[in-house]
Amino acid sequence: MVKYYKKGDAAFLSHRETMRVLERALRRSGADLVFTSGFHPRVKMSFSPALPLGVAAEAEYLEAAVEGEPDLEEMIKRMNDALPEGMGVTSLQVMPGYMPKLSRWARYGLYRVEGGNGTLHLCMRLDGEGGGRLRDALQLLKERWGVEAEAVTRVGIYASRDEILEENPGKVYFYHAGKGELEEMEGSGAG
Amino acid sequence: MGDGVDPLNMFFKRDIGQVSKPGRYLGIEVNARRKPLSASGANCVLVYPDVYEIGMSHLGLAILYEEINDRQDSMADRAYLPWVDMQELMERKGIPLFGLESRVPLGLFDLVGITLQHELTYANVLRILSLAGIPLRSAERRDSDPLVVGGGPGAYNPEPVADFFDFLLLGEGEEVIHEILDAVREWKQAGKKDRGGFLRRCASIPGVYVPSLYRVHYRADGTVSGIEPLEGAPMPVRKRVVADLDQKVKPRRPPVPLVESVHDRCSLEIFRGCTRGCRFCQAGMVYRPVRERSEDLLHGWGRELVSATGCDELSLSSLSSADYTRIIPLAERLSRDLERKGVAVSLPSLRTDSFSVELASRVGRIRKTGLTLAPEVASPRLRAVINKELSDRDLLEAVGAAYREGWRKMKLYFMVGLPGEEEGDVEAICGLVRRIMREGDGGGPPRGLRLSVSVSTFVPKPHTPFQWARQISLPETARRHFILKEGLRIKGVTWKWHTREMSYLEGVLARGDRRLGPVVEAAAREGCLDNWSEFFSWDRWRRALERYGLDPAWYVERERGEEEIFPWEHLSAGVKRSFLWEEYLKALRGEPTPDCRYADCMDCGACDGKEIVNRLAGGGR
Repeated sequence: MVKYYKKGDAAFLSHRETMRVLERALRRSGADLVFTSGFHPRVKMSFSPALPLGVAAEAEYLEAAVEGEPDLEEMIKRMNDALPEGMGVTSLQVMPGYMPKLSRWARYGLYRVEGGNGTLHLCMRLDGEGGGRLRDALQLLKERWGVEAEAVTRVGIYASRDEILEENPGKVYFYHAGKGELEEMEGSGAG
Repeated sequence: MGDGVDPLNMFFKRDIGQVSKPGRYLGIEVNARRKPLSASGANCVLVYPDVYEIGMSHLGLAILYEEINDRQDSMADRAYLPWVDMQELMERKGIPLFGLESRVPLGLFDLVGITLQHELTYANVLRILSLAGIPLRSAERRDSDPLVVGGGPGAYNPEPVADFFDFLLLGEGEEVIHEILDAVREWKQAGKKDRGGFLRRCASIPGVYVPSLYRVHYRADGTVSGIEPLEGAPMPVRKRVVADLDQKVKPRRPPVPLVESVHDRCSLEIFRGCTRGCRFCQAGMVYRPVRERSEDLLHGWGRELVSATGCDELSLSSLSSADYTRIIPLAERLSRDLERKGVAVSLPSLRTDSFSVELASRVGRIRKTGLTLAPEVASPRLRAVINKELSDRDLLEAVGAAYREGWRKMKLYFMVGLPGEEEGDVEAICGLVRRIMREGDGGGPPRGLRLSVSVSTFVPKPHTPFQWARQISLPETARRHFILKEGLRIKGVTWKWHTREMSYLEGVLARGDRRLGPVVEAAAREGCLDNWSEFFSWDRWRRALERYGLDPAWYVERERGEEEIFPWEHLSAGVKRSFLWEEYLKALRGEPTPDCRYADCMDCGACDGKEIVNRLAGGGR
């Protein structure tokens, strides 16, 4: 599993373009990759849910199948040499087979919204029925509280609300897409 | 980078998210050099006058980019024509066109190099200059303005846009660019004074064409009566050719497009030139002679390109890749080495024969979609006219081989409007396609085969045997398209045709003269992106032609006489006019001309008999 960030100008790369860039970096990483079959073999890999254009990210993930035991330090170095400015790999982990796949645990996204009058944290579901659109959440922020988002960063991706609270002690607002409501996340801001 | 230019920084922070595919404008590609502008050396920006996705696929600019950036004293940035939404936004925000990597406006570079790959990008060239705020005409530029320099195949007759260029480079650029950079550096260090004097000095560099140093005289009927070189300018200007391509091995680390481009692959240029002698083909005439690179060099370079870019497809590129004398060992070695890395080896330009098809399926994996063959014409008589050695049997065998190898989608390219073509020749296309669908599988019908037939209109090009020929009119083209529309109603066959008016405009500009300069300028003021059908407007061009009293039919539909002085008479692509005229006569008589790689020299004029000769990797002539 590759943990990477994407900020600055690179935030304007679309999901598809980000995937291309990362696949090429993986191909140059020296790892023994597993490919799909066909004329255009693709690296077998999966990504964390797409980021809207212009949103930076501090901790995104991708999973790729490799054979053997790759030299992780060397892989990080080579991938970082092969990524555009603004993108970088922060860590690499070999995941044992019994660990849940990215698509199984990536449920919540935590966003930092910076505006003219301060910073707030926004959480929303990334998957299934509860998953709304970030743009709607930002629109609601603007309508309700007059928060004009100047920079939005996805801070991280989490499996549960508790995980968010553990890592981010500040106040977090939860966007409930179904109700079209913003609510303070229970237990947040306590620290 | 991007520092120092505040409005641009703000633009990237606040506004870039509003446009479609902002990845096209970021300039953060892997392998982008991002060199800072230099105070003393030549700062260049290389421009492809179409959108990013097309421009990033162009090999020529990638070569020059590396040639320039590898020099200590110079730098090269890149720019493309922004898509319409970005053009509008930039104009609204007062942002001039900038180099993608440095984010410095084009007007602040020393040299703006624009490639002329296609006539339908000529309006884009002017759009680029106006977005950049650079005076359009060479005559209006001051000492501090950049030098606007052209190159590419369009430089062999740049006359319709000649007024907008300070100079153009004829032929291959990787040697002459260094002579230019040296001259620019010297001029810059002397304070960039006396632009005219500097251009006169440039004119003495072989391969450099300075349009302002040639005066064109016209007769009352519009034909050229003479081209007069001024102030000792060379007559003619001769193209530059790299004799030994093993000495010029670039690009090694090309910038990798961030946004998917039209040819989303790495190109390994295996040779240049083609001497098959197809009489309609400008590339086959102007890139002579054939210069193959050696097999071992290509093998190493190909692997290096893959590891420097992370690309998943390596394309063995040239004008006709199956002609490379060591193609089988090279393709097999590369595909064996690269297969394990999940990289496919491909051959983009195949001959229409079973050897090529078998070769294509031997290298790497079998691509079961999209095999393209270019028979060009369907009747034996026209094959003799264009000097393309091919029989129905060859084509049927190629299709049969591809079908057996598993291809179920194939594309065939044909042309209409060739000299001497009759309606029966067009009907022959329908007959041939029907025959393929009837007996394409070794005599039986190829079940499940989907054939896509693509038809373009022949446009006579300068420096070819058909430069004297007439192009068919719009109604004549429509009639041919009607025959095809009726005759290609065959199950499993679809057909596409080039927009008639686009080919017609291409015809006006391809053999155009300097009187078209104001027309291009007027048309560009009203729009650009002529090769994007949603933006192309023949009306816009017709009005502009009318305003300047020029008749498109005079340029397009007129057969030229033996004595006609062409607007490009002062520019030499190596091949002699007398050879081309002989070829034209032989075409009309249907006589063949053999390939000089395997037969005697035809004395076409492209070789110098010493250094500049056909060089084959597999030995032989």
